Amino acid sequence: MIPENPNYHSDYDHVTGQSVFLNDMATDDRLLIGKVIYSRHPHARIRSLEIKEALKVKGVHAILTAKDIPGENQMGTIIRDEPCLAGDTVTFIGQAIVLVAAEDEEALRQAEKLIAIEFEPMEPILDIETAMALNDLIAPERKIERGDVVSAMKNVRHHLSGTLKTGAQEHWYLETQSALAVPGEGREIRIYASSQSPTDTQAVVAGVLGLLKNQVEVEVRRIGGAFGGKETQGNHVAAWAALLANATHCPVKIILPRNDDQIMTGKRHRFLSTYEIGFDDDGMIQAYSVELNADAGSATDLTRAILERAMLHAENCYFIPHIRIVGRALRTNLPSNTAFRGFGGPQGMAVIENAIDRVARFLKKDAAEIRFLNFYQQQERNITPYGEEVANNHLSRIYQDILVSSDYLNRKKAIAQFNQENEFLKKGLALTPVKFGISFTTAFLNQAGALVNCYTDGSVMVNHGGTEMGQGLYTKILQIASSELGIPPAMIKVNATNTSKVPNTSPTAASSGSDINGMAVKNAIDILKSRLAGLKEKISPDKDLTFEELCKLAHENQVSLSAFGFYKTPGLSFNRETGKGHPFFYFSFGMAVSEVMVDTLTGSYTLLRSDIIQDVGDSINEAIDRGQTEGGFIQGVGWCTMEEIKWDKNGNLLTFSPDTYKIPTVNDIPPDFRITLSNVPHEGTIRQSKAVGEPPFMLGLSVWLAIKNAISATKNHETEPEFSLPATYEVILMAIEKLKD
Amino acid sequence: MQKSIKFILDGEKVKISINHPYHGFTPTTTLLDFLRSQTKRKGVKEGCSQGDCGACTVVLAEPGEDGKLIYKAVNSCLVFLPMVHGKQVITIENLSIPGPSGLELHPVQQALLEHHGIQCGFCTPGMVMSLFVLFKNYSNPSLETVKDALTGNLCRCTGYQSIVQAALSACNQGSRDHFSIDEDRVVGILNDILENRDMLEINDDRQRYLKPFLLWSALKYLKMLPEATIFNGATDVALRQTQKGAFLKVLLDLSSVKELRYFREEEDRYRIGAGLTIEELKKATAGKLPAFHQMLQRFGSLQIRNLATLGGNLAGASPIGDTIPLLLAYKASVQLSTITASREIGIDKFLKGYHQTDLQPDELITEIVVPKTDGETKIAAYKVSKRNELDISTVSAAFRLKLKGNKVSEIILAFGGMAQLTIRAKKTERFVTGKVWSRSLVEGARHILDQEMTPISDARAEASFRISVAKNLLLKFYLENKSFNDTGKSELP
Repeated sequence: MIPENPNYHSDYDHVTGQSVFLNDMATDDRLLIGKVIYSRHPHARIRSLEIKEALKVKGVHAILTAKDIPGENQMGTIIRDEPCLAGDTVTFIGQAIVLVAAEDEEALRQAEKLIAIEFEPMEPILDIETAMALNDLIAPERKIERGDVVSAMKNVRHHLSGTLKTGAQEHWYLETQSALAVPGEGREIRIYASSQSPTDTQAVVAGVLGLLKNQVEVEVRRIGGAFGGKETQGNHVAAWAALLANATHCPVKIILPRNDDQIMTGKRHRFLSTYEIGFDDDGMIQAYSVELNADAGSATDLTRAILERAMLHAENCYFIPHIRIVGRALRTNLPSNTAFRGFGGPQGMAVIENAIDRVARFLKKDAAEIRFLNFYQQQERNITPYGEEVANNHLSRIYQDILVSSDYLNRKKAIAQFNQENEFLKKGLALTPVKFGISFTTAFLNQAGALVNCYTDGSVMVNHGGTEMGQGLYTKILQIASSELGIPPAMIKVNATNTSKVPNTSPTAASSGSDINGMAVKNAIDILKSRLAGLKEKISPDKDLTFEELCKLAHENQVSLSAFGFYKTPGLSFNRETGKGHPFFYFSFGMAVSEVMVDTLTGSYTLLRSDIIQDVGDSINEAIDRGQTEGGFIQGVGWCTMEEIKWDKNGNLLTFSPDTYKIPTVNDIPPDFRITLSNVPHEGTIRQSKAVGEPPFMLGLSVWLAIKNAISATKNHETEPEFSLPATYEVILMAIEKLKD
Repeated sequence: MQKSIKFILDGEKVKISINHPYHGFTPTTTLLDFLRSQTKRKGVKEGCSQGDCGACTVVLAEPGEDGKLIYKAVNSCLVFLPMVHGKQVITIENLSIPGPSGLELHPVQQALLEHHGIQCGFCTPGMVMSLFVLFKNYSNPSLETVKDALTGNLCRCTGYQSIVQAALSACNQGSRDHFSIDEDRVVGILNDILENRDMLEINDDRQRYLKPFLLWSALKYLKMLPEATIFNGATDVALRQTQKGAFLKVLLDLSSVKELRYFREEEDRYRIGAGLTIEELKKATAGKLPAFHQMLQRFGSLQIRNLATLGGNLAGASPIGDTIPLLLAYKASVQLSTITASREIGIDKFLKGYHQTDLQPDELITEIVVPKTDGETKIAAYKVSKRNELDISTVSAAFRLKLKGNKVSEIILAFGGMAQLTIRAKKTERFVTGKVWSRSLVEGARHILDQEMTPISDARAEASFRISVAKNLLLKFYLENKSFNDTGKSELP
């Protein structure tokens, strides 16, 4: 049953438990399960590897090592520096070394015990500081610069400098990394993947198996949460399953156990950033110099693009005449860090937002006022450091709106009063803005395809290149198709994303899913509509026909009912050498005001209220956009507060399970949570809507700085607290204790 | 001796004999694995397999004293299959029923749809089951009750707001649904199953699983099988088998021994059956043992509290066990029984070391005795963790104070997370005793405490944080108890 309301498209199946995730798929009785044996050393030579005894275990069908890979031992999609299975050396704890396929878990367990690997440990690099000292860069240093920072800094009235550490973050998608590989005729293979990028999955599988891409079909029905974690790293588990299926000629499924997933996969890049900010008495920023140092982990993965986005968001919403942004990516012996909602943006923004917070404390002014003073303007002061104009700028409008709707000024006064009256409980308030550039900064990725098939009963199947991971893309596509075709949603099916239907797609990432795939679907439908209109004009100019009648008529008159639509985002370019160009199609804006209360004796805090205004253009689906805003914000709050990743001195992940790695629960949302969508139509996008996936994440910084504001209140805002991100209870309490000294 | 597990699934009685190979199930196959092994029951999701995410939440219903069913949400990954004997298992597949135009949604499902409480959908079935229990147990629940019901269900997509709204709107229409219609029949079948109180024994050639229904029977078998792993809710023991590589050869499941599930008030003490679940204990302590009640509100999630027991929490003797500091502060004692004898031992003597107790191989913890305190004694408990809910303590503390005039006549300062086991800060206690209860005394005591404690640094926090928290909690206790005129409540952050 497909309910009439397009919102219920998948929700009906989810809520009844009928939706099929990868681990729920019906399979035949030849199905084997795969297991990945991984390194327990951060850096070591593999001296010997013995699998003979393990092969004798009943129920074991195959055990593979690097030398059994028929194609190239490579999983890197852009920079090819990531072996599929470790060969001579391992470079991080969690690196795959051996693959086992067996009939049941028990056989896998037995086999694992009998696999003997001897390591010769080598010196690992486990933190950014060490990698910086060794200058072990994984990519060339990058720079974006405008004006003359050095002399501006000399001439400016005040300047402050400092260091900020921002932490890693585990994706913690509810569905762990999963793949099912089903061998077909000859060497062809079909992969059911939980991947944001079916095309990359296809390429990686073809690569390791030594096949042409046309022999590999990848299908993604739905993903049980991704958040960037399955943009490249969903490919890994697919490649492993494919190798085992290829070797055994049986379907092979790999579902990573939760703790293995946490240990093996990359996280949000932690950054160590240094900055200097120059400003005048009013708080007008004249100069800003920042060095962003990213912990890339052991391979490049998407680090270059992530660092680039961090740099492109280093100035956030502020016009700074003299600015220099330097980006460095450092190699460490940790799992390769990867995409995560915001994609470097949060790390870049955290530094400037913290710097402005310091400026305000230094000048004894309100931080929101300083932010407002420095916002990009409409006519002048509207060019980013990389030369793109900040067009359709909603910053001032949203700022005025949220000051009123959140009652910012009165609450600020009330908080000051509260803090006067309470010795051990302190409240804090912060307003933070976000300006987020929409488009892949790698310009060619801004393309999408769609295949729309109409059938003679008037039903329609829509195929497109985007993947559904909970962000509501399929629902939005269904709405777009329904309104463009003028037929009810019940007549339309949005098909599972499949590389044989729509080839050469871009990852569903960069918040671009509905922007580019929606346009491709519209373009396909435009082609169909013009064909059908021409036909109607010719055959039946005077009589109205239903869509079904029209389809039948088309078929009878030898007119194709299938069309392929293609879209590329116009006008994008970016020169990485010069750091100049027009990387973004448009900017998305948002603002949040958050209030917290800190117990200064334990460092624990309570989020009391958050107000958000999020710019979504003319929303295609307000319920979805609201859900993205809420969910993105809370995930951002998690990154800023409780989500702490720790390793021991040997590179072992200490927070390797949900027992010690904590994501927000229902209790961690603010009891007073007010979200307003700012629905200003945006010219040139699909149905004048705007992307919403990532921008709200960074609004979580309002909670982080509200906490800092509360800490600072313990010393009457006279001293700058020591602060980092995440602000765990431990960070908070230690900052407070330090202020006491 | 019974040999087969009997329970209700899809409204029908199911009988499983593991003694003869049955689809590869073993006595320690989890309910989650059992359910998912059936091709038509993939709605139950596996998210973490360790009781932390709630994606595998199902509902177990059992007849209560009044002949009505009691519905409880549990994490099916923590339940060994034989534990469902005598219960109705309800999964997501049972919530909607066939109607004239497809499946008719349960009110909680309908509400979740209408409030858009669904994104990727992976947590949804578990979330629905928790909402279902809320629906059955409450009419017009408070926001606090809703949040408590959903604490054990992690969602990484939505930000929860929409789910909370769905809960509030679905649970204000009474608890009547299609399960109500079937209730008498189900109770009949379950009572029929439970009438047989012979030991249930599952014995494949590698594992022996014993499920007694009577205490003497449990004690008798424990005498014969001192090597048995004893458990009740299995929230900890299940992880040893499924996550930590242990292979439990002999298992003694106490979860059906009703004699261990009681809360009795006597003139000068409370007697708590070791098999009382933490959730039952939480309800029982309300208004009677306020500090205990308050601590239990932050114990695990509802799914965990529905399984875990006070006896289990004690037997684990974890240095970060939530209840242990409190039991020290209450000067509780533990009753340990064998088939022939029993002894009562103070909680401080019972705890021996890191996960070590005085429990002998043939002994069971049968009862915890909590003496009542006089009106002049103040007891408070604190828990500091990385996340406020569903998290293990980084530091926990329970304090007991009695003043004579303005001087301290008795004080207990018990801390969890500060050493290899839950300990009392005895030097600090000695320093404080007999002196005037004042801020300056507490400042002095904080210095002694600093020297006395040697906590470790680990995944949860550095030692320096633990020390600071411990010292500050003492100050917090003082600030909240400068005088004794308050309501007996302490403030948990």
